[in-house]
Amino acid sequence: MAVGAWICLLAPLAGALLITLAGTRISRRAAGLVSTLSVAVAFGGALTAFFALLGRGAEKRAESTTAWTWLSAGEFQAGLTLLVDPLSVLMALIVSGVGTLIVAYSIGYMHGAVEERRYFAYMALFVFSMLLLVLGGNFLLLLAGWGLVALSSYLLIGFEHERPSAVAAAKKAFVMNAFGDAAFALALFVLIFRTGTLDFGGAFAALDDMSSTAVNLVALGLLAGAVAKSAQIPLHTWLPDAMEGPTPVSALIHAATMVTAGVYLIVRAHPVFEAAPAISGLAAGLGAVTLLAAGLIALVQTDIKRVIAYSTMSQIGYMFLAAGIGAYASAMFHLMTHAFFKALLFLAAGIVIHALVGQQDMRQMGGLGRYMPMTRIAFWIGALALAAIPPFSGFFSKDSILASALAEGGYGVALLVAGLVGTFLTAVYTFRMLFLVFGGEPSPFVREHYHAHGGKEGPFSMTAPVATLGVLAVIGGWIQVAGLWHPLSDFLDPITIVDREHLSLMEPTLTQDLVVAAISLALSLAGIALAWLLWSARRARVPEAAAARRTLEQRLYFDWLYDRVFYAPAVAVANAWRRYVEDPVIGGSIDGIAGGARGLGGRVGQAQTGLLRTYALAIALGAALLTLVFLSAR
Amino acid sequence: MLGPDVAWYLGIAAALFATGTLGVLVRRSPLIVLLSLELMLNGANLALIGFARQFGDMGGQVFALTVMAVAASEVVVGLGLIVAMSRRRVELDVDRMNRLRG
Repeated sequence: MAVGAWICLLAPLAGALLITLAGTRISRRAAGLVSTLSVAVAFGGALTAFFALLGRGAEKRAESTTAWTWLSAGEFQAGLTLLVDPLSVLMALIVSGVGTLIVAYSIGYMHGAVEERRYFAYMALFVFSMLLLVLGGNFLLLLAGWGLVALSSYLLIGFEHERPSAVAAAKKAFVMNAFGDAAFALALFVLIFRTGTLDFGGAFAALDDMSSTAVNLVALGLLAGAVAKSAQIPLHTWLPDAMEGPTPVSALIHAATMVTAGVYLIVRAHPVFEAAPAISGLAAGLGAVTLLAAGLIALVQTDIKRVIAYSTMSQIGYMFLAAGIGAYASAMFHLMTHAFFKALLFLAAGIVIHALVGQQDMRQMGGLGRYMPMTRIAFWIGALALAAIPPFSGFFSKDSILASALAEGGYGVALLVAGLVGTFLTAVYTFRMLFLVFGGEPSPFVREHYHAHGGKEGPFSMTAPVATLGVLAVIGGWIQVAGLWHPLSDFLDPITIVDREHLSLMEPTLTQDLVVAAISLALSLAGIALAWLLWSARRARVPEAAAARRTLEQRLYFDWLYDRVFYAPAVAVANAWRRYVEDPVIGGSIDGIAGGARGLGGRVGQAQTGLLRTYALAIALGAALLTLVFLSAR
Repeated sequence: MLGPDVAWYLGIAAALFATGTLGVLVRRSPLIVLLSLELMLNGANLALIGFARQFGDMGGQVFALTVMAVAASEVVVGLGLIVAMSRRRVELDVDRMNRLRG
């Protein structure tokens, strides 16, 4: 079991190192294969650990394995420890499994791009970082993985570094994430200060001895970290910009790695959040606000990848909502199904973009269904799963989240309403995208620029992962059907449930499940019908509502606000410092010293005549002078 | 104490030293400059020996011997340089050797 975990963690790192060290000695294709293989080996390792876990009793399904003491400072010690338990293994399976498909897809997608080897090394590094994050057995390793994920996302978003917009997006993602990292680290400092340990078990056991202020602070710091990493309001603005990276990178960030880390953190640290109910309520609230805001913004986006990006924000909002009200298993379930259908949507969109020589503007697309029937099917599956239509996977997971919200009562009902409105919005924007891209007659741009890949829609390395994900997006939800069976919740039980009394609060009854399912299904269908009316049949006109449209196109003015509140004052302060301090004081003094030294040197240099006899005369006069001085001083 | 007073020795030493200094200052041939340097050293030596005799201390004589040894070494190096310069057809004039002008 431990061996599986170590293989799972180290294989992608080995792949990344191998590609980096081999440099140009291996071909581009070999680099892609090494990267894919290393992530596949990681998946194998995760599978081994998974089956080893299944073979044990529910009580013994947690094992930590320490390689060595990684950090030791006085009383405080942190080991290089991996924790293998149902939660980490489930995450490792998702990360490495979906990751394998995405990296394999990249072989076809990135074919012929410059610096393919660098790309594949980064991809393997990304998967390694995320695996370190989920497998780390203490908060310190989690933070290390957390930072590495930010680093590798920075490298991959800015992969096409000749485009200034990509570099800007990479920087934005890194800065936003660094903010979250700092909050996370501060929370850990409080934990160390109060409990003296960062091991999950030890820290959680010591929570009872902490003051409620300290617990709230820790929870708040962790939440800020999670919010930044998972692109929830108010730290969400980096995610849409991250679409500057190559499409498989977007898929990796959105489906398998990175944005799910925040949800994982909340579930992993759930004792902290349970001890701080206000903060977990805040998490749920932020999730609800995000899912609504992202759903609204997605309605007016014209870039196909940005629509999917906003849908990710929205779906992660559902997961935060679930994690905030204590429905951890539902959150993880949605995380898993979301990984399948979101990766599917991104990779299918990648095929479209690939076939249209890089065009991402949906207004230029249209009628692609005629040229790409298989991609259209894949997209339909992804869209139906995203819009939560049974029997596609998204239905089961989203329904369990909404039913849990209903079961929570009170505050939960408000969240439920937000979630239901979000369901409607999801259906509208998803099918708007679908109809704009695939429906209708082929647009002039499509007719002119569409190029088939040797008579097919894409190379095998691209179509195979999409087909696999298509199957998973259909059947992925069937592993847990409310009222029939719930193996996933059972599997996660030892991790997610500490006290059984709390459990009864968030376990919805079958009636609640059915009621919520019926309402959300009706809303989804209504959303699809509306999208069909507006963008496919065109029987109704899209309402103008110029002010609302502009607000949404400005992404609710978050970027504008941050620009005014943080960026502009920082620039103004920096400029003032330069004008009044740096230039006159610091620069001036340096210039003065340099000028003085140079002038003095010039003067002294003139004394160096190069004539031997001048020097001799100077020595003689000096000696005579000294003699006179000594004689007269007697 | 036989012989003249120490003041005589010192007078001659000062005269030798002054002659040497003048030679170093006014002559342009490196060879003569070197010779004048030797004169200066010997003036100093004479003063040392004069005082040694005055005070009956052998330290001054030993020091004079050391100075002679150093002077001999210096002459070897100096003459070597002069020979090398003349082989390279460099004009033997200290005023022309002013490459180190600042």
